[in-house]
Amino acid sequence: MKTIKRNAHIFKLLSIYSIKTAFQSKAGVVIFTIAKFFRFGMFFYFISFLVTKTQTLKGYSQNEAIVIYLMFTLIDTIGQIFFREVYRFRSLVVSGELDGVLIRPYHPFLRVLVGGIDPMDALTLIPYLAITFYYISLLPHITTQNLLISATFFINGLVLAAGFHIIVLALAIITTNIDHAIMIYRDISSTARFPIEIYREPLRALITFVIPIGIMASYPSRALFGKLHLSTAVFALCVSGFFLYVAIASWNHALKRYQSWGG
Amino acid sequence: MAAYFRIFFNTLQEYAVYRVNFLLWRVRSIIVFLIRYSIWIAAYEHVQSVASYSKEYMLTYIFFSSVLNDIVLSSKTYDIAAEIVEGKIINQLVKPISYFGIHLSREFADKLINIVCSLIEISFLIFILKPSLFIQTNLVTILLVGIFLVMGVIIAFFVNVSLSFVGFWTPEVWAGRFIFFVLVTFFSGWFFPLDILPPILYQALLMTPFPYFYFIPLKIYLGIPFIEILFYAGLAVSWVILSWIIAKRLWKKGMYQFSFFGK
Repeated sequence: MKTIKRNAHIFKLLSIYSIKTAFQSKAGVVIFTIAKFFRFGMFFYFISFLVTKTQTLKGYSQNEAIVIYLMFTLIDTIGQIFFREVYRFRSLVVSGELDGVLIRPYHPFLRVLVGGIDPMDALTLIPYLAITFYYISLLPHITTQNLLISATFFINGLVLAAGFHIIVLALAIITTNIDHAIMIYRDISSTARFPIEIYREPLRALITFVIPIGIMASYPSRALFGKLHLSTAVFALCVSGFFLYVAIASWNHALKRYQSWGG
Repeated sequence: MAAYFRIFFNTLQEYAVYRVNFLLWRVRSIIVFLIRYSIWIAAYEHVQSVASYSKEYMLTYIFFSSVLNDIVLSSKTYDIAAEIVEGKIINQLVKPISYFGIHLSREFADKLINIVCSLIEISFLIFILKPSLFIQTNLVTILLVGIFLVMGVIIAFFVNVSLSFVGFWTPEVWAGRFIFFVLVTFFSGWFFPLDILPPILYQALLMTPFPYFYFIPLKIYLGIPFIEILFYAGLAVSWVILSWIIAKRLWKKGMYQFSFFGK
């Protein structure tokens, strides 16, 4: 309990520093937020347009396709709020500053994973949440059971997002050769902006079970629509657990290989 | 001239230093392409045409826009902003070669790499996916596409350079770059052809530089009346001149005001 309290306090301090840093550039915050809303709006328009013109998209109605997009947006945005520091991690490794993080008397994830929350993404989250609740309310036949399963998979999605970011951290330590592993994650994760049924096999299986982006961002919506069978749901949770285990194992392996660069 | 060739070849060699990075950068490009391809294949599952585009024309648009995007929008001019903000530009300016010559050499090398990789990837994807594509056989049309493409490259170069010159006044160059990137994603026709947008928005967009990057060249490739081409030519030439004037003025003003400590 004492450790949790201490970690929460460190997290709070780091978050306050991060917020102060971000708001030093007020014009940047405004431009960034406008650009994010614009991108959100354009994808929203595109998906609405597409489903209107094609009646259904792989069996999904317009509102369902929009909810899939909104669920993806929420998980992606929350991931960016909490794991923004991962985007800056490589420079810590290359400059040798990571040594200074590793010797501190708290878990390095507090600093390198969640130590730089992004207030700009937090600003965008509020309207995204409101729109998502509105579109969910438009869906017919939503049951409490489906809502609960969906919420479970939503949390599972956030855990998977953490797993992906941990793997990116591990990669940055193992090889300084990759300077945009996080962007590759973002590109792959953007496949879940649309229903994963649009992708052909073996790509669909790859982004569902090997790189579980589908489970992360698409399964919460599928659960909401009642399109997730019990066996698939259980299997998906097992895949998620295994993925998180692999992510943490990768981090531990990377730490053993770390030999301090630069300095 | 030999110095510029040396810079050109050095830039090519830079890509070979971080080979994994280079490979993953291209993987990203393929992932993004597959998302666009899959969404449109799904869209045409139950309908013959979407917003006046047949499946053949849409796939042609998606495949070719991928290549043209790499030709027109690939750029090394981002480095200019960093050089200005970090003061390194001073070292470049005192060299007995043209500053713009250096960056043009780097730009050509970057474009060459992008064109070669993009052509290889698209040829491979055409071979694997076997899409039905529209092949333009009219040589005059192909020549016109080439001319518009050159204008697109010039406009994109001056716009990119101007965005980097913002560094003369503020270190927050990323904000403008980010909003430009988001605007380009949608308003250059990357995700969808612009003429599927509401007519008023589409007409307004024609007044901006974005459609001339590659949407208009592709529209010409797919076949439009000559009078329409003339109209677009007038606007494209205007943007070439305007973007050149803006870049030149920003450079002059920036150089006049620029100062840096410690160099």
